[in-house]
Order: sequence, then structure tokens, then C-alpha cells
Amino acid sequence: MSRQNSRLSRRKSISYAKWGYLFIAPFFIIYAIFTLYPQLLTIYNSFFENYRSGLRQVGPTYVGFENYVKLFTPDKTGSIDILKYTWNTIVLWVGGAIPQITIALLLAIFFTSYRLNIRGQQFFKTVIYMPNLIMASAFSMLFFTLFSTVGPVNDLLLNAGVIPEPYDFFAEKISVRGLIMLMNFLLWFGNTTILLMAGIMGIDQTLFDAAQIDGASSVQVFFRVTLPLLMPILIYTIITAMIGGLQMFDVPQILTNGGGTPNRTSMTLIMYLNNYLKTSKNYGMAGAISVIIFIITGILSLFVYRSLTRKED
Amino acid sequence: MKKALALLLALVMVLSLVACGDSATGTTEPKGDAPVVENPDGGEENPAVEEGKVFNIYAWNEEFKGFFEKYYTVPEGVTVNWIITPNDGGAYRNKLDEALLNQENVPADEKIDMFLLEVDHNIVQYANSEFTQDIQALGVTDFSNTYPYTVQAASDASGVVKGVSFQCCPAALIYRRSIAKDVLGTDDPAEVQALLDSWEKFNAVAADAKAKGYYMTASDAATYRVFSDNVTAPWVDEAGNLQFDAQIDAWKAQAKEFSDKGYTINTGIWDEPCTAQMFADGKTMCYFGPAWYFNFSMGNAQDPEKGCYGDWAITMGPQAHFWGGTWLMASASSDNPTMLADIMDTFINDEEVCTNLVANEAQFSNNQAVNAKFAADPEYGNDFLGGQNDVAVFVELAKNIKFENKTIYDQIINEQLQSNWREYCQGNVTEEEAMANFYKAINENYPEVVTP
Amino acid sequence: MDVRNTYDSRKAKIMLTISRIVVYAILIFLSILCLFAFWMLFVNASRSHSDLQGGFQLLPDTYLLTNLVNAWNDASINIPRGMFNSFIVAASTALLTTYFSTLTAYGIYAYNFRLKKLAFTFIMAVMVIPNQVSAVGFYQMCVKQGWTNSYLPLVLPSIAAPVVFFYMKQYMESVLPMEIVDAARVDGSGEFYTFNRIILPMMKPALAVQMIFSFVTSWNNYFMPALILDKAEMKTVPLMIAQLRSADYSKFDMGKVYMFILLAILPVIVVYMFLSKYIIKGVTAGSVKG
Repeated sequence: MSRQNSRLSRRKSISYAKWGYLFIAPFFIIYAIFTLYPQLLTIYNSFFENYRSGLRQVGPTYVGFENYVKLFTPDKTGSIDILKYTWNTIVLWVGGAIPQITIALLLAIFFTSYRLNIRGQQFFKTVIYMPNLIMASAFSMLFFTLFSTVGPVNDLLLNAGVIPEPYDFFAEKISVRGLIMLMNFLLWFGNTTILLMAGIMGIDQTLFDAAQIDGASSVQVFFRVTLPLLMPILIYTIITAMIGGLQMFDVPQILTNGGGTPNRTSMTLIMYLNNYLKTSKNYGMAGAISVIIFIITGILSLFVYRSLTRKED
Repeated sequence: MKKALALLLALVMVLSLVACGDSATGTTEPKGDAPVVENPDGGEENPAVEEGKVFNIYAWNEEFKGFFEKYYTVPEGVTVNWIITPNDGGAYRNKLDEALLNQENVPADEKIDMFLLEVDHNIVQYANSEFTQDIQALGVTDFSNTYPYTVQAASDASGVVKGVSFQCCPAALIYRRSIAKDVLGTDDPAEVQALLDSWEKFNAVAADAKAKGYYMTASDAATYRVFSDNVTAPWVDEAGNLQFDAQIDAWKAQAKEFSDKGYTINTGIWDEPCTAQMFADGKTMCYFGPAWYFNFSMGNAQDPEKGCYGDWAITMGPQAHFWGGTWLMASASSDNPTMLADIMDTFINDEEVCTNLVANEAQFSNNQAVNAKFAADPEYGNDFLGGQNDVAVFVELAKNIKFENKTIYDQIINEQLQSNWREYCQGNVTEEEAMANFYKAINENYPEVVTP
Repeated sequence: MDVRNTYDSRKAKIMLTISRIVVYAILIFLSILCLFAFWMLFVNASRSHSDLQGGFQLLPDTYLLTNLVNAWNDASINIPRGMFNSFIVAASTALLTTYFSTLTAYGIYAYNFRLKKLAFTFIMAVMVIPNQVSAVGFYQMCVKQGWTNSYLPLVLPSIAAPVVFFYMKQYMESVLPMEIVDAARVDGSGEFYTFNRIILPMMKPALAVQMIFSFVTSWNNYFMPALILDKAEMKTVPLMIAQLRSADYSKFDMGKVYMFILLAILPVIVVYMFLSKYIIKGVTAGSVKG
């Protein structure tokens, strides 16, 4: 009986399995056609010398791990560039992402709270998402104007007597990094808010009602009901924010005119990669940097995913 | 200068229109008759060889397209196809390079016949490649009226000419008359030139300007093109080693000195701290640029009501240089060689077309004879420059422009030197750090260049 | 007992008022920050090109209409056409990416099959590959295959979007009980029917969220369209804006650029307002009961 049963259920699951394959097939077919080949080529290229000098193609010549060795060779001052840029990237990401996720979580709770019952929700929800609609390049133009040495922020600070002479926001490490974090925050916090809000709203309302009937305080409801059920979405938010953060490019690229000024302290990994791609189409070095970014992101994501899902259990 | 002239002519036309009322429109018709240009050279008369039906032109904006459609008569049966990709983010160069490298795989009617370039697109790289062809072999042989530097720019290392420019962009020292009077005691272009005709004098005057509360220039990079256009050795020698010309060292020293002593502002030439100085309350004496710069890119200085219109003048300054200009390059894969040659010849040698470019389009043409005609006009003066005849200045100046010792690496090297050196001038990095970052940037872009 | 209750409720009321004040203060502060950017765009769109070089200005100027007319009449661009093209590309991208990502996520979430774990790991792994390098390879492939001047290479790859897939998968874990699927099977619903008629409606908030994101990303996408599209009648909004920015000096006009940037945002706001209506509560509860 039980054997028969298990055979039956196995047959049943096998018959459903074909639907699983069918449902995921379009993704894999399209991926294979459009994306997989260029991506595999990236990894393959990292073992070759392959670049352009003007319009002349150099290589591809197999060089083994030479590109990787080059990346990890210290320069004259003894610092290893790629480690410096990894550190820059992490600093820039963390500085923007922590306030971004915290504020977004707060806002998502505000918006979904029955008790607070925020008026003008549609207005606020639209307004906080609006910066995401502006192209990063257009947003940067506004930042240049605002924070230029002849801009209004300097005027205000001068008039208030905070500073004796105009402060060049785009010349100092701390202010350049600060502006990048601020801009990334403004661009993305609305986006994260909406993600989390949709997550909270997806939670079965009866669970909240039940908790309330049981006399749970709103703090208790949040930690006992909302947070555990929101966990999958929160994990998603953190991991994708991390992937996006480690691939941070457009904002620092435009704000520092590609230079990662000052002294390359705001140069991110992808900006570094872009330096190799832009002119010389150096697929060898760019490929090697990609693989390293892939490994770093992969390890961090796995770590975050594991630690968060374990907590959930 | 041509531009200024054209502006003036346009102004005259507008005034005459206003004066004569509506009825005058029919009599002047500045544009209406322009397109009817008789084909001057026999190019299209004997299409002995069957040529392609589609003429493909790659460009990043519509400037030349406008002139082409007005002043060039396309042979019957040929369709001109414009492939326009914006410059932003290097999209034009990416597109052009991929297309050039893929020429073998496309049908004849999709092959590139002509592509447009400016110096900042690294024209040297294309002129020296096998993707461009000898235009003298195609029949464009008369360069007697063009400015020599425009021909040099489109030639490969062995002197084979691969394209032409339809415009010439000599650049001058543009100074604020009222400040010059205060600092130098004169605003007369000839006298100012005598006081600023070498870098020693220029640097010395900067101190006087500072003493009176002015900036000499509004960007540490303002003078860079002047120095780099006059180098006596290329950035990269034949063995692939990076080398510093004395001109470049002179700029570095000047930028540092000007920064330390407050003679200039540590900012890029297009950044607001620099451009805001062009407004009425600006405190900067000198800018450097060609006619398009002071006629179109100097903010509300150009606004007679708001700015400091008329308070400017030009002179050659310490050294001759140029800035800008668009070149028409002959693609090696063209299947319309006759038409290609005809277009190029028309835009440098056809007197009527060149005259139209100057008179109607605010261009300084690449035809010395035509330009000289306009320069000699005693009636002409540019109001922005307080009535000065800028065309006359540029006609003289253009003869001294050089296009020598250029390499395919120049654009990136120049950009990177300016930005990295600025960090040093601002005091954010040591000289060693600035140079180390400069070398890193070069090697990221050009792995083959050997840096110190 | 009664006394304590009123005391408690009064205290709770005061606490609620205080927290409301704090919440509104935060919201208003953030809104001002966000709106300020738009105010600046608007002000800049109302200024002349020459004036814009002078930097910041707080109040609008008088060139709004001039800039609008100039941008609209610029011969090198066609604003309504660009908006239409962008809309087609962005809307198809949004539809395809959300539908197929949900389908893929459901395939992994609801079924057991031998390669399930591998498939999931694969998608998660490719999600972390930076796409900058492969973008160039992708473009070269398009040139070789003759896929230029077509919307397909811009739209079709969005069917395989690992990030959207991951969101859908996580959302399902958060809100989609397998009992619903089982119940549907008992009712004799086919697998495909179940997905389209029962699962998709329950995913409405997630679909709306990802549709907004992918629409906006596609609407603002510049890099790949700039390389793929060069026919004037096929160009999208960001290409036209870039074209205005790379105009020659005699036609270059930042006033027009700001005006077009401002105009380009309006349709997206409309799409956002429309879709955000679907981010609402209680979808799951409703359908479970139904």
C-alpha cells in the first residue's frame, strides 16, 4: 500500500516535472541565444591578450593567467589597484545602501500602516519615486550646478559664515564620496520603498488581523509577523542592492568625469573595467576584472543569502 | 570669423526685410536660390563606370548634412543615406569602428562611402588606417586654396591625403577689452598682441592682472591647446616610449604657477566656474578659442542686453593654434568613388559653395581665396568684438597653424594630463601621485605605450 | 479598570499623533528633496542657452515656450515619434520580462524536477556577472547577424532577466501557498491555465512593481539603443536627447535639452501612476477565499 502510494506520487511528480521544464524553457532559450555566448566569451577572453591599438587588433594571444597576475601586481607605491577600487566600491555602496534600505523599510511600513493611515499616499509615493525617472546623466548635471564652487550650496554656506571661501565639492575625497552616496540614495530609495511595500502588501491580511486580536503591539507585529514574512523580499532587496552596488558605475563615472577623483579614491571596479574597454577594447584585462567582480559578488551574495535564510529558519 | 561675417550678413538681410516690409521676402531669398549649384566639375557627367546606388555617410550630428543638402547636387539615381549616431558616451566611435571592421561582410549598398570626424575623434588613427583611401588617386588634387594644417590632419604618416575639411577653425586669444585697458593700458589688438606675444610676457602680465584683482584665465586648461598644438616632438616616440615635449612641460609649469598664485581657477573649460566668468561681472581677462567659441559658446556675454557684448577683442596671442573643425574622410570601401571625390572637391574648391558657406552659414571656409575676399571688406566688423574685423585676424593666423607630431594617443593623453595635473595643482595629490595616476590612465587606454 | 483604559487610550492617541507628526515630517522632507530636482529641471527648461552657462538660478525665466517650440521644431529630432518608439520598446520589454520571469519563477517554485536546483543556481550565478563586458560582445554579435535597426535585440533579451526572476521567486515564497496550486489541480485546472488565471492575478503587486522598473529602465536606456538604432524614424527618446547634446555649436542649446528631459519624464509618470494602483493590499487573502 505505502509502496504503491509512493510510486504513485512519484509518477505524479514526474508527470508534473515536464511542466517545470516547459515553464523555465523560454528563459533558458533566450538566455542562450542572446546573453550566454557573450558572457562565456568574457571569461574565455580573460586568458588572452586581446586589445585594439587604434584600429589595429592585437591578439588574441593565449597568455594564461597573465592578466590576473597583472591585476594583482603592486604598483610603485606598493598598493594593488584592484583592491583599492574594491574597497572604494564597497565604501560607496555601503554608504548609500544602508540609509537607502533603512529609510525605504521605514517608508514602506509607514505607507502600509493602517494605524498611521497616511493621507496623500499617492502623492508621496509618486514623488519619492520620481528621481528614479530622471536619467542619471541629467541628475548629475543638476548636482554639478548645485555643488559647483559658484553654486547655491556654496553661496548658502558662505553667507551663513560656515566656510570662509568656496569649497570645491568635486575636489575632496570626503565630499565626492558623499555626493555619490547622496545621489545614489536619492535615485534609488523610492525604488526600494516600492519593492518592500509590495512585499508587505502581499502578506496575508488575516495574519495581521489575528495578531491584532491577540493584542500584539505594532512593534511586535512588525518583528513577529511582518519581518519574517517579508524576509524573502528583504533578502532580494539586499542581494540585488549589493549586486547593483558592486557594479556601481554611472553616478561616480559622470560625477568625476570618469576619473574617480581625487587620486582615484572614487574609482569603482566597473569604472576601472570601463577604462580598459573604452578606448583599447581590452577584452583580456576587462574579462579578468569581470571574473574577479563575479567572484567577489558571488561570495558576498552567497554569504548574505546563507546568513539571512538561516536566521529565517 | 566667417561665422561672424555671416551673422552680420544675416543681420543686414533681416534689417532690410524689416525695412522693406513683407514684400521684400521675394527679393532677398537668401536660402531659396542657394541649392541650385551647377555641378562645377565633370564628375557626374560621364559615369563611365557603374557606381553604387546608395551613398552612405556616417556622422554624429546634422551640421554637414544641412550644408550638403543645400549646396551639393546629388547625381541622379543615387540615394544618400545618413547614419547619424550621437557622440554621447563614445557611441559614434563605437558604431563607426564596428562598421568599418565589418565592411567585408555587408553588401555594396551598405558599405560606408564617407565618414565625418573631428580632431577629438582621433582623426590620426583613421587617416593612418587601411579603412581610408588616397583621395588624390580619386581625383581630388587641388589643395592650393586649403589651409595646410587641414590637409596634414587628414593625411597618413607618409603624406597620403585621406580626406578634407570643409571648414577651418583657427583659434585666437580672446580678451576682455575693459580688463585689458585696466591691466595693460590699452585694448587695441595690435598693442595687446605686442604685450602678449610670448609666454614669458603672458605669464608676467598674469601677475599684473592678479594685482588688480583679475584672473588671467578662467581655467588651468585654457591655454593647453595652444601649447599642445605647437609641440616639436610627438607624445610617443617610435619605440613606443612616452615623452614630454618642452611645450608640455611649459604648460605644466604655467598651470602650477597660475594655480598657486591665484591667476586662474582650477576647473575645466566647460565647467560653470569657468563659463560664469564670461558674464558681465566676470573678472577674467583671457580666453582662447575660435570663432564658434566666441560667437556661440560664451554664455550671455553674447547677449547684447545682459552681458558684456562688445567688450571683447581677439589677437593671435603667444602661439597660433586651432580648435575644432569637421573632416570628410574617404572610406576605403566606397562603391561611389567618383561622387566621393566630387563632394570633397566641391566643399574645398567650388568658389560658389565656399562663398555660400561663409555668407549664409557662418563658416570660415577651407578656401583661402574666398576667405580673403571677406577679410578685405572694409565695411565688415563683428559687434561682439567691438567692431573688430575678426576674419582679417583669422586669415593671417590660420597660415601659422601646425598639425605636426600628432599620434593616435594624443586625445586621451591630453585629457588625462589635464585632469590629473589639475589634482596636483589643487594640492590634493603630490606630483608623483599625479604623474603615477596619469601613467596608469595611459596604460589602461593604451597597453602598448611605455610609461616611465 | 475603566480609568486605566481611558488613560491608555489617551496615551496611545498622543503617541499616535506624535508618530504621525514625525512620519509626515520625514515624508515632507524627502519629498522636498525629490521635488527640488524637478523644480531645477523645470527652471532650467525655462532658461536660454546662454543664460544656463551662468549656473544655478532659483526662479524660472521666460524661455519656457521658446524652448518648447525650438525642441519641438528641431529638424534632427521628432519628439512625438521618439516618445512613441520609446513607448513601444519599453512597454514590450516590461510585458515580456514580467510575464516570462514570473513563468520561470513559477516553474522553479511550484515543480520538482531533477535539474531544478541546477537551474536555480545557474540563474543566481549569472545574475552576478557584470554585463558591461558582454554588452560589447552582444553588440558585435548583433552587427554580425545583421540585427541592427530592429527593436528585437532590445526587447527579446528581457525575457531572460535574472533579477526580475529572483524577485518573482522571492515574492512567491512570501505570499504564494502551494495549497492554492494543489486546490486548483483538484479542481481539474490545467497547469498553464492555473498559472495564467490563478497565479498571475495573485502576483499583481509584484507584476506592477517589476513592470514599472523595467519600463523605466528601458525608457531611459541609452547605451545599447545608441549602437543598434541609427534610422531617424526608429530612434528612442534618450538617443534624441543625446543627439541634441551632440549638436554642432551653432545649434547646441541646453535650454532645448532640459526641455526634452522634462518632457520625457511626463509619460513615465503617467505609466507609474497607472501601474502603482495595482500595488495594493490583500490580493492573496482575496484569492484564497475565492
